Amino acid sequence: MAGSTGAGEEALRRLMSTNQPSFLAPNPALSETARAASRHLFSALRPFCPKSPLDQLLVDGFDAEQIWQQIDLQSQPLLSSLRRQVKHFAKNPKEISQLKVVPLGKKVEKEQEEWMEESDGFDEELEDDEEGEEKGEEYGMEIEEEDGDQGGESGSEEESEEEDEEEKGEDGEGGGGGIEDKFLKIDELTKYLEKEEENFENAERDMRGKKDADDEEDTEDEDDHDDEEEEESDEDAEFGFGDEDEEAEDMENARYEDFFGAKKGKYSKKKKAQLHQDSESSDDEDDDMEFKKQNKGTASTHQKQLEKIQSKIEQMEKANLEPKTWTMQGEVTAAKRPKNSALEVDLDFEHNVRPAPVITEEVTASIEDMIKKRITEGHFNDVQRAPKLPSKVPREVKELDDNKSKQGLAEIYEQEYVQKEDPTSAPLSFKDEQKQQASVLFKKLGLKLDALAHFSFAPKPVIEDMSVQINVPALAMEEIAPVAVSDAAMLAPEEVFDGKGDIKEETELTKEERKRRRANKKRKFKAAGVKRTGKKMQEGALPNQVNG
Amino acid sequence: MQSNMPLSSMEVEAAPSEAKLLPPKPKFEPLKAHEMSDGQVQFRKVSVPQHRYNPLKKAWMDIYTPIYEQMKIDIRMNLKARKVELKTRPDTPDISNLQKCADFVHAFMMGFDIIDAIALLRMDELYVESFEIKDVKTLRGDHLSRAIGRLSGKGGKTKFAIENATKTRIVIADTKIHILGSFANIKIARDSLCSLIMGSPAGKVYSKLRAVTARLAERF
Repeated sequence: MAGSTGAGEEALRRLMSTNQPSFLAPNPALSETARAASRHLFSALRPFCPKSPLDQLLVDGFDAEQIWQQIDLQSQPLLSSLRRQVKHFAKNPKEISQLKVVPLGKKVEKEQEEWMEESDGFDEELEDDEEGEEKGEEYGMEIEEEDGDQGGESGSEEESEEEDEEEKGEDGEGGGGGIEDKFLKIDELTKYLEKEEENFENAERDMRGKKDADDEEDTEDEDDHDDEEEEESDEDAEFGFGDEDEEAEDMENARYEDFFGAKKGKYSKKKKAQLHQDSESSDDEDDDMEFKKQNKGTASTHQKQLEKIQSKIEQMEKANLEPKTWTMQGEVTAAKRPKNSALEVDLDFEHNVRPAPVITEEVTASIEDMIKKRITEGHFNDVQRAPKLPSKVPREVKELDDNKSKQGLAEIYEQEYVQKEDPTSAPLSFKDEQKQQASVLFKKLGLKLDALAHFSFAPKPVIEDMSVQINVPALAMEEIAPVAVSDAAMLAPEEVFDGKGDIKEETELTKEERKRRRANKKRKFKAAGVKRTGKKMQEGALPNQVNG
Repeated sequence: MQSNMPLSSMEVEAAPSEAKLLPPKPKFEPLKAHEMSDGQVQFRKVSVPQHRYNPLKKAWMDIYTPIYEQMKIDIRMNLKARKVELKTRPDTPDISNLQKCADFVHAFMMGFDIIDAIALLRMDELYVESFEIKDVKTLRGDHLSRAIGRLSGKGGKTKFAIENATKTRIVIADTKIHILGSFANIKIARDSLCSLIMGSPAGKVYSKLRAVTARLAERF
């Protein structure tokens, strides 16, 4: 040990003497010196950290990062405890004098080292950096800048370090609001734990000469998230070690009020006390900050929630008593609502009209494409006239033949004469020939079409008799050789009748009707007279030629 | 004169009425054509216009045969005078035959076909009517030509339409128009032609024709 310490100190001195820039370049000898120095320092500080798992700094074959981690492992709780002590001394300066005088030599050195460390600053990064500097770690970082950066955070970290363990314990629980109630208050618990820690550490210092390690200390792991239970177990364990009589006395006379205070009246006081506690502790860990904020105030979160709900209920009841806004009323005419209020409200009603289509380029392009396609196909939606069913007999229209007649005039008159004498022997006229040809052609076509439709077709529309009734003596038509010719004509008298409406006799007419008839007659006569004179003018020269 | 004698003789002999028998009643046949005119032969002369000279030469036999055979009229062509001469024969059955034949030849000279003109020989009631365009309306130059064109129609179809509808035959010879047919039909044809001359379009004439002929057909 002594030899190693001597070597270590020598290494330290060597490091301090080297130039600053030489640290930038990798130098195996320098690194070896640094490692030795760091090992020395580590072992020097080891007695002050009872909870440290490492007895010795392991440097052989270890990475710089790994060495750093080891140092960190040792120095974290050490720093927190030191800070606590300094605070304590800051509050009670008188106790400094009560500090136990340690024997000179190692302990003095150790104390001095402690003071040195304390006075350098409470920032662990700062100290680490300095340690790094002293130990000559192979970092190319700019240490001064880091000091500046870390200075701002120092205040917050300082406070956080105190309740590091307890905070971690709360972390694991997921929020103080979840478990807190009238009986268990986490702030009180933390306070209690702090107190116990201090007592424990004081006891430890006392017992340092006697014992090296405590079993209970080893169980306590700083990174354990189930801190609360362990702390409680610790507390229980420590109760056994409790040297102070006051506590024992209190335990015997413990009452409900001691633990939980007065039931109703002291609620607010307790809350205020907690507030003070809370203000000191501010968390840099994000999760815990939120939980702390919840706990601010004189009441618990549940109570606050209740209050909120109550206020909301009151609000709603009040609103219900008042008359509703016009939007909530049923049918509202324009007179019953303020002017232009419908513009502000987003009205939703059924539109019976389809909204006009937005005409975009795509829409027009699609329409045009459809038009072009239809044109090329020739598929139009023309309105087809529905074919009217023939209800009347189509009149036989005599077609005028404008070709030269093949028969001579004599033959024509001969035929006419024959027809007159014997109506049945009517020769086929020009029209009939054409008709026959057409009917033959159509029959052929009809057969083919029916075959296409599998001979299932709609029946012909019923039309009346397609026959032309000539007013010829009936008997003459029926018999080939008429023995006697009857006067009975084919057409009925009403079909022969050429007039209109009800014919009145001369005797049946009234005076007005008679006058009317006469007037009509006169009019017709006059019109006919004009025509006649016109025609006479035309025919003036003709009679002469006929005679000649 | 001859007829009176037997009467008188009968009357004279009626008084004694003892010994003489009466002579049989004479039977007299109807008078023949040429006897009617006191045995004198009757003539008709039909002049031949120059444009019908060649057609006459071609159709001479068609003219000659029915006239000579059926009508029993002598017919000859006087080349010098350029006339067709007709003469009754002793065995001409009817006195009107001559006139019919003359009309037939005359119709041919006007421009009608033989087959159409033959109808004159066969039927009594057929007549030929002629008039000029200027009788209807005074037209000059292009108007006249257009009127003639309107009358005939394209390829003569208007004329044929009228002919077929009214059972007549029409000859349009420049400004002269001749219609052959029965009286009523001539009238209808004449009306149609006059309306065409006056300027009505052919379609209108057709529709009128249709209506008229339908009425005509119904009448019979």
